[in-house]
Amino acid sequence: MASLNKVLLMGRLTRDPEMRYTPSGQPVSSFSIATNRYTVGNDGEKKEFTDYHNIVAWNIGKRNLAEQVAQYLHKGSLVYVEGRLQTRSWEGQDGQKRRTTEVIANDVQFLEPRQNGGRPAGAGATDELPAMAEETARDVDPDEIPF
Amino acid sequence: MVNKVILIGRLTADPELRATNGGQHVANLRVATNTYGGKDDEGNRKEHTEFHQLVVFGRQAEVVGEYLRKGRLIFCDGRLQTRTWDDAEGKKHWSTEILVDNLQMLGPKPGEAA
Repeated sequence: MASLNKVLLMGRLTRDPEMRYTPSGQPVSSFSIATNRYTVGNDGEKKEFTDYHNIVAWNIGKRNLAEQVAQYLHKGSLVYVEGRLQTRSWEGQDGQKRRTTEVIANDVQFLEPRQNGGRPAGAGATDELPAMAEETARDVDPDEIPF
Repeated sequence: MVNKVILIGRLTADPELRATNGGQHVANLRVATNTYGGKDDEGNRKEHTEFHQLVVFGRQAEVVGEYLRKGRLIFCDGRLQTRTWDDAEGKKHWSTEILVDNLQMLGPKPGEAA
C-alpha cells in the first residue's frame, strides 16, 4: 500500500545539540530548530511567526549522524533536515500521559562552513553570529518552546 | 526557511468539520502512515504506523467534509505547527499538527470496487 511520511525543514538551532547513549550504547542526538514564516495581515502589515521543531538524529548505516550533529552543530547553526514524523507518549511525574511529536532525521546537511574544528566563527559570542541567527536567538522565549 | 511535510496515508476517522468565529471552514483529519520499520528476528518486513493530525482551511475544508471518509487514501503537503493550550485544570498541553496546503484524494472511494 502506498504510504509516505516525509518532513523537510531548514532552519537554525535554538540551542546546542545534546547527545546521549541508549542502554545498548547507541548514540542519539537531539536538537531543536526554528523556522520563520511571514504573513501579510489585512492591514498590509508584514508579520513574522516562528515555529519550533524537535529533531532526533541516530547513526544511519555507516554515517555517524548522531555524533556529527553533536560535534559540528551549535546554537544558531543553519541546517537542512529531512526525516519523518513520529509521536511518542510517556507518563509524567504527575501520572498524566504526555505526547510529543518529533522529526526522526534521515539526513542532516550542515549549511554553514565549518571552521576551527566545527565551531562557527564567533560561536559563544551571540552578537557575532549572522544577523538571522541573532534574530532567531532573540525571538526564542524558553516558555514557548514545546519540550 | 523550509518547513514542509509530505504524507500519503489513510484517514482513520471521518473528518471533523467546524467553523471559525470569522465564518471560515476548518476540517480536522486524522491520517495514518505505514512506513518500513525494519525487520523482525525472522527477517520479515515490519511496518511502523504513525498517526498525524491535519488541519484544512477554507474551501478545501468544505470539499474534505463532503468527500472524504474514514479509510480513504490521500496525499497531502503542508507545514508543521505546534500549538499549546491550557485545559480546565490549568495543565499545559502541546499538539503538533500539519497545516495542509495541498490535498489530493487517491484510490477509489470506499465502497467502490478497487
